[in-house]
Amino acid sequence: MSHKPTITDTLQFPADSKVPGALFGVGAVGLIATIIGYFLDADQFFFSYLVSFTFFSGIALSALIMVMLHHITKSSWGVVFRRISESFTANIWIWAIFVVPILFGIHNLYHWSHPELLEYGTEEYDKIVSGKSPFLNSTFFIIRQVIYFAIWGFLGYKLHKVSVQMDETNDWGLSALLRKVSAPGILLFAFTVAFAGFDWLMSLDPHWFSTMFGVYFFAINFQAFWPIMILIVFYLHKQGLLTNTIRQVHIYDLGAWFFAFTVFYAYIAFSQFLLIYYANLPEETLWYYHRMEGGWQYLLYGSLIFRFAVPFLVLLNREAKKNRMILGGMSALVLIIHFAEIYWIAMPTLYDHGFSFSWMDITAFLGLGGVFFGLFFRQFKQNDMIPKNDPKLEDCLSKSYHQ
Amino acid sequence: MSKYQYVPEPALVKGDHDFSSLTRLVTDINLRETPKAWYLAMMGANALLMLMVVAIGYLIWEGTGIWGLNNPVGWGWAIINFVWWVGIGHAGTLISAILFLFRQDWRTAINRFAEAMTIFAVMCAGVFPAIHVGRIWVVYWMFPIPNQMAMWPNFNSPLLWDVFAVSTYFTVSLLFWYVGLVPDLATIRDRATDKIRKVAYGIFSLGWTGSNRHWWNYEKAYMILAGLATPLVLSVHTIVSFDFAVSMIPGWHTTIFPPYFVAGAIFSGFAMVLTLMIVARKIYGMKDIMTDDHMEKMNIVILVTGSMVGFAYIMEFFIAWYSGVEYEKAIFMLRATGPYAWAYWAMMTCNVFSPQFFWSKKLRRSVGFTFFISIVVNIGMWFERFVITVTSLANDYLPSSWDYYSPTIWDVMTYVGTFGLFFTMFLLFLRFLPMIALAEVKAVIPLADPHNYDEETNEYVAPKVEVPEPQSEKV
Repeated sequence: MSHKPTITDTLQFPADSKVPGALFGVGAVGLIATIIGYFLDADQFFFSYLVSFTFFSGIALSALIMVMLHHITKSSWGVVFRRISESFTANIWIWAIFVVPILFGIHNLYHWSHPELLEYGTEEYDKIVSGKSPFLNSTFFIIRQVIYFAIWGFLGYKLHKVSVQMDETNDWGLSALLRKVSAPGILLFAFTVAFAGFDWLMSLDPHWFSTMFGVYFFAINFQAFWPIMILIVFYLHKQGLLTNTIRQVHIYDLGAWFFAFTVFYAYIAFSQFLLIYYANLPEETLWYYHRMEGGWQYLLYGSLIFRFAVPFLVLLNREAKKNRMILGGMSALVLIIHFAEIYWIAMPTLYDHGFSFSWMDITAFLGLGGVFFGLFFRQFKQNDMIPKNDPKLEDCLSKSYHQ
Repeated sequence: MSKYQYVPEPALVKGDHDFSSLTRLVTDINLRETPKAWYLAMMGANALLMLMVVAIGYLIWEGTGIWGLNNPVGWGWAIINFVWWVGIGHAGTLISAILFLFRQDWRTAINRFAEAMTIFAVMCAGVFPAIHVGRIWVVYWMFPIPNQMAMWPNFNSPLLWDVFAVSTYFTVSLLFWYVGLVPDLATIRDRATDKIRKVAYGIFSLGWTGSNRHWWNYEKAYMILAGLATPLVLSVHTIVSFDFAVSMIPGWHTTIFPPYFVAGAIFSGFAMVLTLMIVARKIYGMKDIMTDDHMEKMNIVILVTGSMVGFAYIMEFFIAWYSGVEYEKAIFMLRATGPYAWAYWAMMTCNVFSPQFFWSKKLRRSVGFTFFISIVVNIGMWFERFVITVTSLANDYLPSSWDYYSPTIWDVMTYVGTFGLFFTMFLLFLRFLPMIALAEVKAVIPLADPHNYDEETNEYVAPKVEVPEPQSEKV
């Protein structure tokens, strides 16, 4: 065929870019400030940390599943974005060290870790928590974190490494290897992410349970992943990078995914709520009850409006997904409300009497966010910004709108 | 050479086909003399259909007492069969709507077929809610019709939502199917030589001429219907799952039900498409269009959805223990070890273990094995609904009221009879309508791509994939 698309952009992120350094700087300042907070209010420190840790881990995990799904479905639409996702996944094994503070904070975060709850006959004895102790105990909790990060870290590292290798050797056969890693990877991902959701967030209230929670945890993270991708692409374009490679038609697809998983999020979150509301069993409704009073309810209404209703109505229109202002605005909105929703899940455990917000919530966010994106850009600039020898790249570059 | 082999995407249509040979392959079936074997098959299907009519007739005469329901098991085969058939009816719209939005061109070979199956399966499902009410002559009470008794359906009940969800789904699926059929009906109209066919297909092809404007409208309508049908794929089985999950019955009330039911529905629907496809493509010689590659892709969907169902089983079991609620724990232990353990393990084996064979590429491409698994899956999915419905009811909160449920011959006859309805409709479809979405298949063959024609001579040049030679040294 005579119409082979060629890449006219430079594929290297500027090596002298100050971005990673600046981000690491923000991260360091944020983390140091947060650590100072630890000495002022340890409980607040750990909860603030957990919320931000979950927020950024969710991005990396969503990137991981996205890469695996892309390989397994032999997709072409997102080849130009894949290196961005891969640069997130390649760092998961490093990011694992940030789970350590949570392990130190088990006692502050998780009520189930208090040994007196398990002592039969005492006043503190809690029959329900005691029944869960084979699963909810500090040793097994730590072991599980090691297992999760070992699996995610390995998958992320391997998928990135092989993909970069394909850049270098132009060996299309490696796409078969990538699929071989991805297929069992998706299965492992499903279970580890569900249980990570149980561990990090659901067990904050050890009495509450929901079979959907693993799916819900995935759904909130995955919806928030598309805004991250959209904003990164906009940032790259602003720097004048990949402007002819990642075209509007590609960004449109990100908008379409964003829309699809906005609906998916609403479907999962609403189903979980409706079933618990309808049956009205005390052991289940109490969790929502605490989160629908004392000011916390506004975060829930906020999710309903700004996480579903507004993006749904706005992004439904085809033209809206081609408009950068709208897409960027919706992305920022959903990211803010994503943070608010994790906050809404976690924080009422600590502040069951009413809404509370601490400066540590901001410093922990900036600290972890700075490090997370610092690591991302450090990784991203080491390799070409797109998998230049991918078998599906040509299809992706010659993409046009479907009418 | 690399350790791993790059395999280019296989062609969607095998063999040396051009537009006219595809037209002949698909539409000759509708134009030729009716084969004797078709009459034989139709007789078999009609016999089963009569069985259903008899079973339903006796039900109306005698009442629901003829079924095996007892106290506490007030829901039995009727709802199991309803959910089972509705579940099967999920594949068609998934293939035609969701895979269309995902631009999965391989769907063109099977979408017509799967949509037809969907519509007939939903018809079979619809039989059960209609007949289970006991006093069928007042069945209109299910609808919000003003009456002097001020009786209204309970709008808080998911059973009512079900009526709306299923009827919406049926309507949109039917419209979607029909819109897709229009260009192909016109093809048959144009090829038909006898008067009756010309008129009949002429009426239903709505004056289609294949003009640019017709195609433009067609594509728009198709896109809009795909967009409308996509949420319906999810909503129908979500609401079916609500029938159970909004209650307080242990084993029913669990939040993962909506996505888990949807995954299970797609799982069983794909299995049913495969069962029918493997038989039909052999009898009608459609192996060039419904290829082994299609079968392999569908087997991957079966593997994925089967594993999703397995994921949900494990989550339910884990959370039942984790919840610390005695009744939840008890019902799951009873399922695995109690009086219905045989059904539970049949379900586990068929739904979770059997699809795992499809990790093997060799088995994914084996026609015989796929046929076998596709039937096993649907047996398993029937047992899933049996386990959910019956075990939770038979062993409820009070052990003194426990009872064992067994169906009667009338339950069995009604269920077997619905196959008669299904196959009667399906045979009519195979005989009178093009079983392949001909216009869509033509659009995905390389001959349809203008890039594959030489710019100057306008001659067709088959596209080639050039696989680059890997470099052993790093560049």
